[in-house]
Amino acid sequence: MIEASFMSYISLSILLFSIGIIGLISRKNIFIIYMSIELMLNAINLMLVTLSKYFSSMDGQIIAMMVMAIAASEAAVFLSLIVAMFRLKHSLNIDDYNALKQKGTL
Amino acid sequence: MINVIFLILSLFALMGAIGMIMFSNTMHSALSFIVTVMALAGLYALLNASFLFMVQIIIYAGAIITLMLFIIMFLNIREEHAPKEPNKYINMLVVAIVLTPIDYLLFEAFLRMPHIGDFTTKIKNFGDIKMLGDKLFRGWLLPFETISILLLVALIGSIVLARKRERK
Repeated sequence: MIEASFMSYISLSILLFSIGIIGLISRKNIFIIYMSIELMLNAINLMLVTLSKYFSSMDGQIIAMMVMAIAASEAAVFLSLIVAMFRLKHSLNIDDYNALKQKGTL
Repeated sequence: MINVIFLILSLFALMGAIGMIMFSNTMHSALSFIVTVMALAGLYALLNASFLFMVQIIIYAGAIITLMLFIIMFLNIREEHAPKEPNKYINMLVVAIVLTPIDYLLFEAFLRMPHIGDFTTKIKNFGDIKMLGDKLFRGWLLPFETISILLLVALIGSIVLARKRERK
């Protein structure tokens, strides 16, 4: 049987990931969607670190560090996209961000 | 003792995450997310990942969330910019109901994992910076260099994207 403390960490990670998915799907504010993606990355990091301790191997922690680096670069690109789109539309609603839709004009 | 700390930290993490998706004010959401990030840093410390504990605080709470708060203040976001979401709670409920069986499946899958031993490491200094750096520069050198190139590309790309374009 798997130990209870291990399963509690895994359950917390699964719950945080689900909350991230809920926020990603049900909200319309672009900042909330971005933070939900970050929350999902954080939940996966927690799972990686837990498994790294469970298997007594450093590989999980190194992958978690790589995920953090990717999250940092994602933050830079995503926030600059938000700045560019906000200048154009003056709104945070993702329904207004349809410039790539096939519609003719902006 | 460890269990009490784990319970408090996981409670903070869950409350912060739920608050993050519930608040309608963007600033409150971002501040609530900081609570989650700090609680997760504490959980890393409980899991013998002392270097990741520092990295989590420096990168997430210190860089990413601060950058986001800076952008929120810089754009001067007021109430009328935030979208109207009248049926936000119904959407959340529907998504939560859909996700429940998937979560249960994941839980059962982890419950049936091969049993390795108890949840304590035998290795001395597990997770400190020396061990992590040793592993990073021996076994993971190519991914490390690729990540550095990715960070450079993201730096240039964000400057190009956020630059003001002159209208012709």
